[in-house]
Amino acid sequence: MSKWQSTLVIILILVGSIVGAKVLLIPKKVVVNVQQGRTKGDPNARVKIVEFVDFQCPACAHGITLLKSYFAEHPNDIYLQVRYFPLTNMHQHAMISALYSECASRQGKFWELDDQMIPQQSQWAQLINPEPVFQAMAQQVGMDVNQLNTCLASDDARKVINDEKSLGQTLGINETPTYFINNKMVVGTKSLTEELKNYFPDIK
Amino acid sequence: MYVILRLIIGSVFLVSGFSKVLAPYQNFLYVVQAYQLLPSWAETLTAQIFPWIELLTGVFMFLGLWTPWALRGAVTLFGVFVVVVGQALIRHLALDNCGCFGEWIHLQPQTVIVMDSFSLLLTFVLLRHISSVKKFSLDSYFDKA
Repeated sequence: MSKWQSTLVIILILVGSIVGAKVLLIPKKVVVNVQQGRTKGDPNARVKIVEFVDFQCPACAHGITLLKSYFAEHPNDIYLQVRYFPLTNMHQHAMISALYSECASRQGKFWELDDQMIPQQSQWAQLINPEPVFQAMAQQVGMDVNQLNTCLASDDARKVINDEKSLGQTLGINETPTYFINNKMVVGTKSLTEELKNYFPDIK
Repeated sequence: MYVILRLIIGSVFLVSGFSKVLAPYQNFLYVVQAYQLLPSWAETLTAQIFPWIELLTGVFMFLGLWTPWALRGAVTLFGVFVVVVGQALIRHLALDNCGCFGEWIHLQPQTVIVMDSFSLLLTFVLLRHISSVKKFSLDSYFDKA
């Protein structure tokens, strides 16, 4: 075999094995679950967005704010679902903020707590223990505190979060915020805006 | 010594390229966007093509196939890394992670620019001693054949 032929064979084996591994290993679709309390909008809307977030990630906060404004401008065209992807190795409050969000969703208060938590992210992210702040927010949005504390102490809420993170990892998620817009993966707010411009040319 | 250096630098590109091509390209696109250097279309193109260039450079260096060209490729890549990370540091861009090895290894940009500069120098040295670098390589096998 000549040097050129060997080169070609090496490249073909390399490309073939990587493309094969990607096709076999990475699932292409994320299922939008309409049963959960972390959804917003019409399930039949033409743009379905699933966002994987870490509530302590500044880019996620920016993304949540952006999506909130897009949703306000196009309430009938967007269906939104939030999924957890706490980056616990980078953000010390990633898990506890996700737990409060999950417990809020079980009381139908996910979006209300989100509206409190996200704008104040830069403040509670600096705290050693942000729980008193989260408890105050929970009371402010009208959550049942006993039910909240039972939920926080249970393994079930944590399991939901860990399962969603595992799902995200199988979808190839490394960073937050990661979005699936009509099943197309998009990472970060710049790509989010660019992708949504395909559906809503008026957004900035 | 030169052969070991060739294998080490080849391995760096192999790990870096593999970690990126196995993940969805959108993850690396997010990293490229953080450097705020290119227009959107070029960022997407870079995110899709660059990991493959790294991977092929790594494979050829590791196997010692087309070694002089692989070394020139490595010099170009290290040069690009130094310029891109350097401009980000000068502009005080908020980068938690250089994005060099996908999700596998997280390095601060300050660490990376030192490593890349050192690797660039080493690769220049290898280029100057190409006959020693080619020992135990596919190039030497084909040169003999």
